[in-house]
Amino acid sequence: MKKVITGNQAVAYGVILSRVEVVSAYPITPQTTIVEELSELIANGRLQTRFLKVESEHSAMAALIGASTGGVRCFTATSSHGLAYMHEMLHWASGARLPIVMVNVNRAIGPPWNIWSDQSDSLSQRDTGWIQLYCENNQEVLDTILQAYRIAETVRLPVMVVLDAFVLSHTSEPVEIPSMEEAEAFLPPYCSPYPLDPQEPKSFSVITTPEYFFEFRYKIQKAMEEVPEVCQQVEEEFYSRFKRRYGAVEKYGDEQAEVLLLTSGTVTSTSRIVVKKWREEGVNIAGLKIKRFRPFPAKEIGEAIKGAKKLAVIDRNLSAGVGGIFAQELRAALYSQEERPAIFGFVSGLGGRDITPELLEEAIQYTLVHSQPKEEILWLGLKR
Amino acid sequence: MSKPIQFKGASEMPEIPISLGFMDWNKTGAWRAQRPYYLDKTPPCNASCPVGNDIVSFIQKIVEEDLDGAWRVLREENPFPGVCGRVCFHPCESQCNRSFLDEPIAIHALERFVADFSEGQDQKVKREVEKGKERIAIIGSGPAGLSCAYHLARLHYPVTVFESFPLPGGMLRMGIPSYRLPREVLEREIALIESIGVDIRTGIALGQNLTWQDLKNYSAIFIATGAHLGRPLGIPGEKRRGVFQGLEFLKRVNSGKKIELGEKVGIIGGGNTAIDVARSVIRLGKKAILLYRRSKEEMPAFEEEVSEALEEGVKIRYLVNPIRIRSKDGLKRLECLRMKLGEKDETGRRKPIPIPNSNFFIEVDSLIIAAGEEIEFSYFPKGMERKGGILLTQRDGSTGVKGVFAGGDLTSTQRTVAHAIGSGKKAALAMDCYFKEKDSEEAFRRALIGEGPSISIFRYLHPDERRMDSHIVRFEELNLDYFERASRQKETKLPPKVRVKDFREVTSTLPSSLAIEEAGRCFSCGTCNGCETCYVFCPDASILKREEVFLREIDYDFCKGCGICFAECPRGAITLKEEAR
Repeated sequence: MKKVITGNQAVAYGVILSRVEVVSAYPITPQTTIVEELSELIANGRLQTRFLKVESEHSAMAALIGASTGGVRCFTATSSHGLAYMHEMLHWASGARLPIVMVNVNRAIGPPWNIWSDQSDSLSQRDTGWIQLYCENNQEVLDTILQAYRIAETVRLPVMVVLDAFVLSHTSEPVEIPSMEEAEAFLPPYCSPYPLDPQEPKSFSVITTPEYFFEFRYKIQKAMEEVPEVCQQVEEEFYSRFKRRYGAVEKYGDEQAEVLLLTSGTVTSTSRIVVKKWREEGVNIAGLKIKRFRPFPAKEIGEAIKGAKKLAVIDRNLSAGVGGIFAQELRAALYSQEERPAIFGFVSGLGGRDITPELLEEAIQYTLVHSQPKEEILWLGLKR
Repeated sequence: MSKPIQFKGASEMPEIPISLGFMDWNKTGAWRAQRPYYLDKTPPCNASCPVGNDIVSFIQKIVEEDLDGAWRVLREENPFPGVCGRVCFHPCESQCNRSFLDEPIAIHALERFVADFSEGQDQKVKREVEKGKERIAIIGSGPAGLSCAYHLARLHYPVTVFESFPLPGGMLRMGIPSYRLPREVLEREIALIESIGVDIRTGIALGQNLTWQDLKNYSAIFIATGAHLGRPLGIPGEKRRGVFQGLEFLKRVNSGKKIELGEKVGIIGGGNTAIDVARSVIRLGKKAILLYRRSKEEMPAFEEEVSEALEEGVKIRYLVNPIRIRSKDGLKRLECLRMKLGEKDETGRRKPIPIPNSNFFIEVDSLIIAAGEEIEFSYFPKGMERKGGILLTQRDGSTGVKGVFAGGDLTSTQRTVAHAIGSGKKAALAMDCYFKEKDSEEAFRRALIGEGPSISIFRYLHPDERRMDSHIVRFEELNLDYFERASRQKETKLPPKVRVKDFREVTSTLPSSLAIEEAGRCFSCGTCNGCETCYVFCPDASILKREEVFLREIDYDFCKGCGICFAECPRGAITLKEEAR
């Protein structure tokens, strides 16, 4: 069934189709309509899910940690300051190896106060042990939620599904919605290997001395290392059922392009048009969409950029003191490679400023004419 | 007992941080710096009860809907719950911690409820008196005498009570009108006292048909003859015909004798006797006007009685003092002075001062003087001392004469039913010590409720049961997170128009549902009622249960002394002390 729905509605459909048993959330713009949609469905009795009202995002995640430890599939959604408020509990969820799925609607963090899109909220949480998947359109949002539960429940790590504020969250697009039967066939009911049983009480996440703590962290890294393969298997199965696939990265344009434009989130849609236009004008260029940020797809990127001389990275975020975070991760990932293309780190669109086709063209133009970037940070669309 | 599990490395460890065995090898109790323990403390209601009732325990029995248990708890200390639930001035309620949140628990109504509930039950009371024990004579069958007799009988002593009137009960029967205390309630409770083996002989008056010589056969004597003599005003004319003494009047009314009363009856006094007289006068179809020399503030009568009297049409004139009574053709002409209030006197009340030349006259048809009662002293032997209008006794009721004890109104200026019952109980305990040659001071100290002066005979008999620290629980020591505001249940009363027609009881007993609701308001100050809050909160699962039964025990092998149980306990029943190092 195809419907014209917003990104936030696509999230709600994804949650419904995943038969989530516990939802706990606290409203924040631009996530609010997700929670509204779900709580209404639950209140009307159309969804057999427990909705836990809480007084903060910290509590929302704490409640899910309890629910997930109890062995049920659960969900929350947040944004910006709400995500920051959850920070402590994010570590807890991954440290306790709980397969929680959360949607974060990318929104800048204040001050100054701002409700529009950039990636500084989710990227601030990159070291919390969560898998992070960035979506380009509403269809991908819905599909990624279904996949996220499969991934999370396989590797026992929480997954954050990320979409841009307003550009996706509040914008309607046609979305193919799988039937419940199809969804159930793809995503079976969750069965925790560590169920809570009053007859056999267990302690969870209690104090662990230096003797063993280290090894638990090692195991989380090992689980992260399994993610690329698990993602691929999940996506193959998804493709066989729904004929849609996204990949950790997706390359489009000239296979042998020497210049690549790297994007994530909705900027990719703009990039697709710009890349197409420049190719038609005879420029040897390709685009690279990065969907999975954690674990960082170093291997997949390495393969996709073989032969490339220059990489233009569009970062809708800023790690003050360094620059764009995607560019930084990319530099680290490529350092061990023999051929290291020049990396042009563009920072653009902070606080929801539009990244227009013209700005992307400016970035391409700059990359084409310079053999090396003149500055570590290339400010795109900044009013000096 | 399991052991710590050792891993060589990550490959042997579980995927998630989950316990694989038990931690009971790790005696975390060794970390404890402070130790919590259950210690019941004294609730302020218990501490202020002159009878020495275990109020919280009986109320908690009501909460458990164990009304028979509640009745038994009450009867441990008091043979008169039905009487006290009606006529006691309930100092327990004025001390109730609940009054700091909303309103005090209606303790008197609950006591009455339990007593009346028991009436419908087939109460099996077994005879307690044993032959061969020391025989005891009790003079007077009022609340002090019968309380003493009851407790002595429960200590298995054969007791004989001598009563000068044809019927037992003393002031309960002669002084308190039946609209406050129906005769059947009194008779029911006296019958229960008799059924455990107390022998009551009526129509026998000390100094008349009973002499001290006759009492030589008894090993000990308890005198509780009360205070029956009307205190004269000391003004001209009070000995005239048609001028009654308040208590005399009540005795006649309460024993059904006829009294010639005029239409308009003046009553002089401001105590409970005066109010009882005035309300009885109204019920006999006459007008009652009460004259009191101070103001409403200083009136010793209980406030509720006063307001009920006013509802029924009793008129009260304050700051009026009669100085002369004249009569003519049956009409009494009272010459009075107006008064004003001066400095506080030794009773803490402001002293009335006559206003010079304020003389005026009040005309009444009959006059009743109820200005207080005095004790009869004439028939006491040498060695007994009188001071300040009472017979002097030690704390345990002993007098200057060996083996002779005394109590009740005779020995106290606090002349209430509750004080009388308490004094009878104290004497019973003291006599037991006397016969067993035990130190009564020491026994009293152990049986004290809080700081005293009331004692618990239950504690005397069962020193290891329901132990209670003497600390009196303050409102600040309760955890108010657990209590919501809830209004106090009120007993219903007959409308004044109906009340004045006869001597039917004014107030009715709470229905069962409301009584249980009211009991549920009780904080159970300082007294563990098994709410299990500690069990729920203990992060170390160190509050013990066995087969779902809450044990009120702490597992010190694992209790780390965090103090959460102590902080969360709604009623201050857990104490925390520093561990000895």
